[in-house]
Amino acid sequence: MSAMVKLADLQGNILRGYTKKPHVRYLILEVANPAAARRWLAASTSGRSDGVPQITSGDWGASKPDTCFNIGLTYEGLRTLGTPSASLEMFPNEFIEGMTARALKLGDVGPSAPETWPAPFNEPKRIHLIATIYAEQPEQLNDVQKRALADTSAVTLVGTREGYSFPDDRVHFGYRDNIMQPRFEGVHDADRYADGQPKAPLGTVLLGYRTNLEGLRWRVPEPEELGHNGTFNAFRVLKQDVAGFEAYLDQAADELLKQPQAVGELLPPGAEAKIGKVFSIEGVTPRSALREVVAANLCGRWRDGTPLALSADVPDPELVKAANFDYVGESRCPFGAHIRRSNPRGGKIVQRVANNSRRLVRRGVPYGPAYDRTQPRQLEPERGLLGNFIGANLGAQFEAMSCDWLNLGLQDPRLTGSNDALTGANGTDSSWFDLPLKSGSTIRLRGLPRFVSTQGGAYAFLPSLRAIRYLGSLTT
Amino acid sequence: MPSEGGLLDRFVDWLPTTLFFKRAASWILVPYWAHKTPVKPLPGGPHPSFEHGDNVQCMMNLIMPLKVKSPIGRAEAALAIAQNKDAIYAGLNNVGTVHFARFVIVGDNICMFSVYDGDFTNYIRDFIATIGSVFNAVVALVEDGEDVTPCEKNVDAFIQWIHERDLYQVPDTATDFLRDQEALNGDTAMSGNHDDLTLLPRKLVLQLRANPNVSLGNGYRAYPGFSAAQVRERLELGW
Amino acid sequence: MVDASVSQRLVQAIIDNLPKPVPGQRPVHTLGIGVEGKFVASDVARTYCIAEHFNGTPVDASVRFSNGLGGPDRHDGWSDVRGMATRFHLSNGLASDLIGTTLGEFFVRNVDDFFEFSKIAKLAPYKKECWLQKIRDLLQLKFPPRNPYPGETESVDAGALRYADLHRFAQLGVFQVGLIGAPVSYVRAAYHAAHTFWVTAPDGVRRPVRFSWQPVAGVCNTDPKKAPRDDYLREELRERLQRWPARFMLMMMIGEAGDALDDCTKPWPGTRTRIAMGTLTLTKVADNQEEAGERISFNPNRLAPGIDPSEDPILKARLGAYEVSREMRGGCPFKWRPDNAK
Repeated sequence: MSAMVKLADLQGNILRGYTKKPHVRYLILEVANPAAARRWLAASTSGRSDGVPQITSGDWGASKPDTCFNIGLTYEGLRTLGTPSASLEMFPNEFIEGMTARALKLGDVGPSAPETWPAPFNEPKRIHLIATIYAEQPEQLNDVQKRALADTSAVTLVGTREGYSFPDDRVHFGYRDNIMQPRFEGVHDADRYADGQPKAPLGTVLLGYRTNLEGLRWRVPEPEELGHNGTFNAFRVLKQDVAGFEAYLDQAADELLKQPQAVGELLPPGAEAKIGKVFSIEGVTPRSALREVVAANLCGRWRDGTPLALSADVPDPELVKAANFDYVGESRCPFGAHIRRSNPRGGKIVQRVANNSRRLVRRGVPYGPAYDRTQPRQLEPERGLLGNFIGANLGAQFEAMSCDWLNLGLQDPRLTGSNDALTGANGTDSSWFDLPLKSGSTIRLRGLPRFVSTQGGAYAFLPSLRAIRYLGSLTT
Repeated sequence: MPSEGGLLDRFVDWLPTTLFFKRAASWILVPYWAHKTPVKPLPGGPHPSFEHGDNVQCMMNLIMPLKVKSPIGRAEAALAIAQNKDAIYAGLNNVGTVHFARFVIVGDNICMFSVYDGDFTNYIRDFIATIGSVFNAVVALVEDGEDVTPCEKNVDAFIQWIHERDLYQVPDTATDFLRDQEALNGDTAMSGNHDDLTLLPRKLVLQLRANPNVSLGNGYRAYPGFSAAQVRERLELGW
Repeated sequence: MVDASVSQRLVQAIIDNLPKPVPGQRPVHTLGIGVEGKFVASDVARTYCIAEHFNGTPVDASVRFSNGLGGPDRHDGWSDVRGMATRFHLSNGLASDLIGTTLGEFFVRNVDDFFEFSKIAKLAPYKKECWLQKIRDLLQLKFPPRNPYPGETESVDAGALRYADLHRFAQLGVFQVGLIGAPVSYVRAAYHAAHTFWVTAPDGVRRPVRFSWQPVAGVCNTDPKKAPRDDYLREELRERLQRWPARFMLMMMIGEAGDALDDCTKPWPGTRTRIAMGTLTLTKVADNQEEAGERISFNPNRLAPGIDPSEDPILKARLGAYEVSREMRGGCPFKWRPDNAK
């Protein structure tokens, strides 16, 4: 089956997480001169080790690369490079319009609205190319950047964003991330374990293959070498209000403490001590344990990674990377938990045909310093996540998940009308989250503020290596 | 109100109510002003919005001109729907977000009117997956339908094609249609120094020339704000 | 809190734009009629709002219907905004007021807008447009301005239109005023409170809402092609209520995060959840019209515990302006809930 896709033709960041390279830098680039930029692209796949950094493919052969280098092109980028208009027209609408035009679908409203984005995202037409550098050492980033920008006639740097993976795959709210990605048909996954989900057809993540929706094929922009094996990426700069999040956990724990029966159900005998132990909470109290219970329910995983679907009462160090579960029957994972909202797996949803059809490859890295709860600052520095949401059809996957599932909660009538509690455009007056109790009833938490706001982003096409060569060879 | 004053005054007040004037205006004044002050067609479907209430019970008013404009063409369309009743009902049940849906033949158009929850493109895409074959059968009878069939292989183009045939929904409040025109022209100013509210009738006339078929308002709802699944759940009908 | 001098100036700006001064009377909505009735909340009203009149026990209500025009002249048949001010009488001598008009949206957003509006929309001589200009309008497919009513010599229409051409937020309100017409009866019109209020539910949840009265008998205007009658609404109401009570349904729309909470020029879409809050049954025209139609004084900010005003600057300005106006005409003061007083 692995013959189905030629990994050497794919950009490496599509199917690989580059997990050993914790330093990531995004170069936001504008084409300076189209001809020079095309030469730059051609050079990036030339196989020469000097000059323009080489695009990392999905096939590393025998030797691991020291650094990885990948690119995505926006619609403006493709156009500026001289892509024939007949080809451009074959790209999907959402990509042509760009992320800022899709703000309402993505919940980029209020403090997330594109009009509020800082440079370079305030000028989306100037964003042509997003190059990503992954490295083990921070100085390697500078080295690769220098090589990438050496030819000033080719591309101009309009902005950078930089992130660093925390130990244990922790992200700013304190959760373990990067636990699972879809497994794909026809792709060898020796070190993957069962994830309780069917393997996703390759068309989920690459153009030119069958998709999860029976009989549906996404249009592959022509010529074939341009579109085939390409995919799309929603790049997002997501600012996280960690202080606000921690404060909300306090507030919610205090609310719950007023309801002794709920406390009894949420903290069965022994749970408080176990939670205290797992999260090293000194002198654990019902309040400090309930904070973790709330955090776990909002996400669907305890902050150590244990899925609530497998262990709802206490975190379990054995299960911190567990993925083999589903939401069938009486799952104790809240319907509204972030991981369940964004991927309801095989669980019951309103749009039955959409089960498993909106899956995405997620690659995220935190930016900004970690929050220290013991030493809060007057003015916390900005921090958040540089996220990549990769799929063969942004409209059918990333946008469909965002607008119908995260923002509207259409998939379950018990959620409809609420935002995703962790990532949604919450307003303290209207937000709510139903915390399930063992007895089957729920407690409605209210007053959740907005924890995450969008501070930039772009839709990019991740072309195959063949496509990069094709673009590099264009003449106009 | 009855007018007083001279004969000429009364004549001028009476004139616009006459069929003669309306016809003459339609033949001469409307084309003239359409040429002088061109108006772009406004896009169909519900107004894009982030608010929850605007994203449930959305209205689709799809008007598709038949290729064969005769009783034969209409009968073909009627048969295509009748033959696919099972497919349509199974599709509606499993897409799960539809409140009401019906096919109607008006003039030589096959029309589909529905009330659905959530995003329009997701709605149509899910339908392509479940009843793509029915879409293909119906759209084959419609002008320019061959450009986007089979829909399963032309998903984005098919969704766009449907969107272009979905009626513009004139806002419920009269002046909001001016805001739609301004938005289409990229004019988002809060205040316009050159606005002339007395031109609203002409703007409406010209807009209805660019969008001959429209939905007047976005429709009444007896219980706004609830999805089909929420209604089914609360009525204990299962979802 | 709006400055007391601002309240004074607001009232003065209105008085300055009147055709005839009306000392001792309301400067606008001058002519009104007081009516008695009862309000009974629906079964669900209490789950959205803890205010006493929504708990299901019938409460007495005093209603004053009015013509929007300022001044002593009665022109029932003119196209004009109508008012319906309602007082729900609660225990301990408290009350909750709800003031609605037939205009769904106001034409200014705040006090500064209002002062600018009153400068531009000055009362000006109003003449019938000459036939030649009307022909020009027709050729441009424009609305010719309406003909003046018999006896109408001055109007603010032209100024209001000028203001709306300058300010898009005002266009809806001004346009609607132009088409508003005259109801065949005070109880055959829908009345909207325009402002947003916050209601508190028993579980402490606060929701932004807008209220509307929907007439059970239906909305019906007079035929604009017929000559307007100046004095029929009072008699119509008396006769009607002698035969049969008139009813209104109170509808409450619940706003969403992106809705205009503090701007009464912006409508809320019809897709908002709408709660039937109860039925008002009007039984008789009050015997003492001096008391029930004249001296009674309302304030949109007089609210029962469980209802709170929004930050809408016009709503805030009405707090002081209504009180200034009441004092000027010797209107009857009324008890406020302690935390809600001006």
